[in-house]
Formats: sequence, structure tokens, C-alpha cells
Amino acid sequence: MRPEIYQYNYDWMLWRAIQAAGKLADGSEKETRKMMSYIPYFRKTAEVFINMGKPGISYLKRIEQYLDNIVTAHEKGKKIVMTTFCFSPSIFYAMDIVPVTLEVMTVLGSALWKRGTTDYMDYCVELGFTETSCSSQRGCLGAYLAGLGEEIDLIVTNTAGVCDTNANAFAFAQKYLDKPFYSLNYPSGLTDNPANQYHRDDFRELIRFLESHTGTTLDPDRLRAVLDETARQEAIVAEIEELQRLVPNPLPVTYNFVIYGGRFFFAGMPEYTELLTDMAEVVRDNAQNGRSGITSGIEKKRAFFFYIDHYTLNLSLWDWLDRHGISHIGSILSRSFKDDQPYMKGMEDAAYSIDTTDLDTMIDSIAMINSRMPMVRSIRGPYDRPNMWKEESLALARIYKADCLIYNGTPGCRNTWSNVKLLAGDLEKAGYPTHIMYGDAFDERVESWESTAARLEEFFTIRGLL
Amino acid sequence: MITPFREAAARIYNPHAAEWFAGGGQIAGYTCSFMPPEIFHAAGILPYRLRGIETETMEIGDAYYGPYVCTFPKCLLQLAGQGKYGFLSGAVISTGCDAMRRLDECWRMAGKDYPDALPEFFHYFDVPHKTEPHALAWFKDEIRRLITAVSNHYGVLITDENLKSAISCYNRGRELLLEMESLRAAEDVVISGTDAFTVAVAGTVMPRQRFNEHLEALVHELRAAAPEPANGRKRILVTGSINDDTDLVGLIEDAGAVVVADNICFGIRSAADMVRTDGDPVDALAGGYLSNSVCPRMFGAYDQRFANLREKAARTGAEGVILQNIRFCDMHGSENSLIEKDFEAMGIPCLKLEREYGPLTETGRMKMRIEAFLEQLS
Repeated sequence: MRPEIYQYNYDWMLWRAIQAAGKLADGSEKETRKMMSYIPYFRKTAEVFINMGKPGISYLKRIEQYLDNIVTAHEKGKKIVMTTFCFSPSIFYAMDIVPVTLEVMTVLGSALWKRGTTDYMDYCVELGFTETSCSSQRGCLGAYLAGLGEEIDLIVTNTAGVCDTNANAFAFAQKYLDKPFYSLNYPSGLTDNPANQYHRDDFRELIRFLESHTGTTLDPDRLRAVLDETARQEAIVAEIEELQRLVPNPLPVTYNFVIYGGRFFFAGMPEYTELLTDMAEVVRDNAQNGRSGITSGIEKKRAFFFYIDHYTLNLSLWDWLDRHGISHIGSILSRSFKDDQPYMKGMEDAAYSIDTTDLDTMIDSIAMINSRMPMVRSIRGPYDRPNMWKEESLALARIYKADCLIYNGTPGCRNTWSNVKLLAGDLEKAGYPTHIMYGDAFDERVESWESTAARLEEFFTIRGLL
Repeated sequence: MITPFREAAARIYNPHAAEWFAGGGQIAGYTCSFMPPEIFHAAGILPYRLRGIETETMEIGDAYYGPYVCTFPKCLLQLAGQGKYGFLSGAVISTGCDAMRRLDECWRMAGKDYPDALPEFFHYFDVPHKTEPHALAWFKDEIRRLITAVSNHYGVLITDENLKSAISCYNRGRELLLEMESLRAAEDVVISGTDAFTVAVAGTVMPRQRFNEHLEALVHELRAAAPEPANGRKRILVTGSINDDTDLVGLIEDAGAVVVADNICFGIRSAADMVRTDGDPVDALAGGYLSNSVCPRMFGAYDQRFANLREKAARTGAEGVILQNIRFCDMHGSENSLIEKDFEAMGIPCLKLEREYGPLTETGRMKMRIEAFLEQLS
């Protein structure tokens, strides 16, 4: 790693940058514009959020809070857990443990800095973690392996059985950092009784692990509060996502990103509820006025990303979609699969419910939430089985009236690169023009954004979409 | 005495399998060392570990899999599409790793495009990634589900007695393999690493009873044979990704080493995992196959695996370790780095070798690196 990179802690750098960004809109318009000239590389990202108005600023302040929690955790006597985006952090909040979610921390670095997190990615490789591993973990992991972050106390992941490269990153970190480790594991089935029983048993083991390594006992009242808040949040999300079915879609292109990002940061915490409340106001207003969320007001096409989004410098993907009049109607990361979400009609088996009757039902509920997290839900088994990737993609594409479907991931995603061609073929047969992006969502060295954009242009042009 | 094993390991459609097939026997392929072949043995079906040798092109493998995927499952798919596995009446795909488990879908889809590529019996076998009691319960369910599926499809009755007999037969093979391993540990060379690996690979693709008979005779012969002096050849332990290619071990030995131990899933990595012969045979199989976290797919069990390797290196007097992995195998690739760090801290030099699976297309490059490594040991 370059010596200068060692000068600053990764989490502190992010914290300070986001803190400053959150204050950008506090000044006059002229002051804000002037400030932008001092942050040439972060400018576009900052503008994405500032241009969103209240929800965008609110989002920046929430992220700042998330980072503040990390950098002050130990002085407040709290334990820090390294975890993954497809693990609901609500159990950690219920036990007063501070999560460091590798992938969201990588997204922040990717979006903020000109070089993204490539120095940290390469540092992982220097230590022997394979360069073919997923960049989503590697970006931030490198910083923690280098000791450039608050010390991690324990490691918890939940992707064994779902995503090798993800689980492997945490297993590598466990050994390298010599920390206690727990990995939730998933059968290939989602809805059968043995699978459900396994989810519950495994989650109870996890709670025992957390209690023994943090000295904290799970408090039922606190867990109930977190789950009640989660239910409130999902009700707001349900309303927003139901309005997303309208043509034109009243959601600005970045809203899905903010919804799932907020969930990964703060599921079950009031911070997220406030953010969603602000967003719902904007969406309702747009919907009542028949207004598209696209900046130009003209929705030309609707794209569903049946895997993840693209996060490199400046969040260029969303800018590209907005400029081309393309509504982003979600990705594999967007939906939560709660039982009362309107899109769950016809997929009831795959849903989870929240039952706060007693501790047992609450633990079952949170185990079910976790087993329905993005990817954990739909790429754990053969893609063409019920409730899996194909069924989910087609159902969501139909409900949200997609005009086309797009795959984007990372070369490290061994799981989906092993079957995405098959799925893309099936989606085409179902009538959806389907595009496979070959770049890396977190590492622009694999394919520059300009090349990625050119291929998107080509796809939309050749398929007669624009 | 080594000839029957060489015959078995040299070709996909080996003479032992061909004879079985010609005699009207059924053959079922499987992909992972966590799948108990005793189940098929108990049903009177020859369990056959799917191999990727003899792959010459990759147009079928590449058509279904994406680009960033290990070449081993692609080779299996390629061979299946070409009809080289036409002798199989069944196949079981396990959740060894993501690329291997997706062979399920890729092969099924290829079966639509290539007539007769897909065996009639095609089963997805889930394996937990941990060993706790609730994982063991799940694994038992999976084993029972497979037994039911095999019974129903093939119209055979798999009784507890059949299973126990199959377990005993496989345990006998394990005992013999361990005996061969102990001979391998001697200072002078009793059997080359290439031959030892050939025996282990052969054991996965020939009738077990016959394998045991041949191995018994071989071990008997090895006990009586005059050892060949090592003559300064360096003693090497080979570990890492899946490999069924005896030429890889041959390449290392041709460079002037003797491979005194291996820890590869086609080799004898799991031979020490004896399966209990008392009690419920399904319980015994589940315990035997899941208890040892021998593969990095069992996340978080590195220390256990390294302890096994360290013991193996000490027992065999390994002077160096070759850590190979197929490109895109992140689990072995990353773990190899941890192993390298720990072995080198103990003063045992290591060579990390990333490679493509296949007909040793990279022989020249690998040979050069192996030779340089062996020079370093001198």
C-alpha cells in the first residue's frame, strides 16, 4: 500500500467527508456552489444527494451518524462487529453492538474518492487474499486488515451456502485478525419446514455467540422496539414501492439506492424511519401530480436491475439513467419480502412476518428477516426453482412494468457468473430485453465507467429501447 | 500391481467402469467428497467421481458458465455435452462451492441442447457449511432424501444392512489408503507420489470391492519391496484446489522432488474420516462425512485444517509445500496464503501456484516455477 494511505484511518476519513457533505446544504446556494469547486471528485456524488433535497441531506446525515457510531464505539464501551450487507443489522442494534458493514463501507469509498478503494483492494491481495475475490468486501476489508479502522471485536456473516466469495472474505478476516467468528448458513431451499427450522436454530446459535462474546444479554423489550420500528419502516417502504408501479414512476432514480442503503445502515432504527418518511412525502407528491421522478419529468423506459447497481466514482449510473429518462425500478437489493408488501401477492411462501408476541416469536421473526435478505433469499438454490432468482426477477419485472432487465455485479461473484447466462436467456424468452454488464460495481479498473456507459447506450439503442 | 489403478485413473471411461457397464451395471456420477458414495454402493450402483481430464476444448463449458469461473466444472460440463459421460445413468451435484453447485443448472440446460447429455437421474445434494448439531440434522435429512430418490428412481431397496456393508467396504479402502500413506512417510521412497495419487484417484472411479482387492495386493507388495533411496530428492507436500490430474503430481516429481503427502479432495484428504459401523447408518454417514472440516468451504475452520496439514507435514518429513489452486477458486486461493504464512513461520518453505485446470496447458510455466522452488530448498 502506498505510504500516504497509511496516514489516515479509513472510517475516520469517510466520517469527516460525509460530515462535511451533510453540512453543504446548510449554507446559501452561492456558498454551496463555491464549496463544490473544492471537492472536484466528490462533487457529483454530493450533488446527487443535495439535489434530492431534504431526503438526500437527511441520508448524508444518517450515514454520518452510522460512521460516528463506529469511530466512537469503543469509547462508549460498545463492541464492533464486522458484518455483511445481506445481514440485517437490527439484531446488533437490539444488542447495542455497532455494525461495520464491509460492502456499504466500500460503496462509500468508491463513490467518494477518485481512486475509489483500489488501494485497499490491492492491499488485500498483498496479504494473499485472492484478486479474483469480490471487490465489494475487498475495498473496505483492506483498510481493516491494514489496521486503518476501529478495531473489530467480532465477525458475523450469513452467506455460507449463498455466496462463497462473501463468506470467504469474512473467514479470511477472521483468521488474519484473529477474531471470534460466526457464519449463518443457508440450505438451498427457502420455504420448506426443514429450512425454516434450520434458520431458527442457526439464529439462536448466533444469539448465544453474540451474548458470549459481547457480555450483552438480548433484551426482549429492546428487540421488540427494533422489530416494531422495522415493521413501521417496511410499511412506509411498501407505500413507496407500490407507488413505483405507476407510469410514470414517481420515484427519483436514486430512491431505490437510498431505500436499501438505509436498510443496510439502520434497519430497525428511528433514523431510517425518518428518512423514509421524508422520501414518502416526495413520492406521494409526485404521484398525486402524475409527475415522473426523472429530473426531466419524462420517463422513457423502465429498467429493473436483477442483481446489483454500479457504485464507482460519482454514482455515475444514476446520473446516466436520469439523463436518458430511464426509471430505475429496483434491484435484487431493493425489496424486503415482508408478508404485507403488495408485490408479495403470488409469492406468499417466500415472505417473512414480524411477530412480537414473545421472545421466541421475535427471534423467529428476525431469523426469517435475515433469511430473506438480498441474495440470501434468491441465489441460495438453483436459479429456476420456486422462489429463486428467476421467479423473483420475472415477478418483480412484471409487477413494476420493466421494459428491460440489466445484470450488473462484480467479476468476483462466482455464484451469479455461474448461471447468469442461463437466467438472461430465460428472461429474453419471457420477452424482456436483457443486458449483462461486464464491469465491476466497485472497481473501475475492470472496465471504465465510460466503457460501461457505451455498452449501455449500445444495448438501449440496438434493442430499440431508446 | 499399480497397473489397474493407472488404467482406472488414466481415462474417463476406464476399463473398470466399462466392464461394470458392459455387465449391465448402473453408474452414477458425483461431484464432491462430502457426498457419501456408500449410498450408491449399497444400491448396487457404481459411484463414479466426475472428472475433467480429456478435455480438449471448452466451447460448451463456456457457453453456459460465465467467464469468471473455475475451469474444473466447465470441463465437466464440456465432457458431459460431448457425450463422454454417456455411460452415466445418474449424477449428483453437491454444494461443494458456488461454481460446482451451479453445474446443476448448467448441465440441465445443456441437456436441452445436447441430446443424451443429461443422465436420467439428476439430483441436487445440499451440504451444510458447518458441523454443529443442527447442521448435522440437516445433513441427515439430505442423506435420507438422496436414499429415497435413488431407491425410487432405480427401484432398489437400500436397507440399513446394505448401507452398513457399504460403509465397511469403504472403511476397508480407507484403512488401506492410510496404510499406503504410512509407507509413503518412510525416509526412502516406497511408492512415488504420482502412483500414490493415482491409487487415490482410481478409488473414486472403480468398484470399491475391486479397488480394495488391488490395493491390498499393492500394499502387501510395497511392504516387501526394497525402498528406493531418495537420492536427495526433496520431500514435498501438495495441497489446495481440486485436482484429479496425476500429471500435476508427475510434473512435480519429474522436476526432482518426491511427493510424500497430498491433501487434495481427490486424494486421500478424507481417508482418515472413518465412518462408524454401529448404530443408525445414516447417522454414521452424516457424522463421518461432515465431522471433519477438511475443505475451506467449511468457513471459519482454518485452524483445524492447518493442524491436519501440520501433522501431515511433520509425519512425512515434508521439506516444502506446494499450494496449488485453480484460478477463480477463492476459497483455496485465499487459504493457501494463510497456510503459506503459517508454514513459513515454522521454517517450511512454500510455493503458491495458481493455475488453470485442464490438460496442463501451463506445463512449461509451472515446471519452471517448481524447479526454481526446489532449487531454493537445496
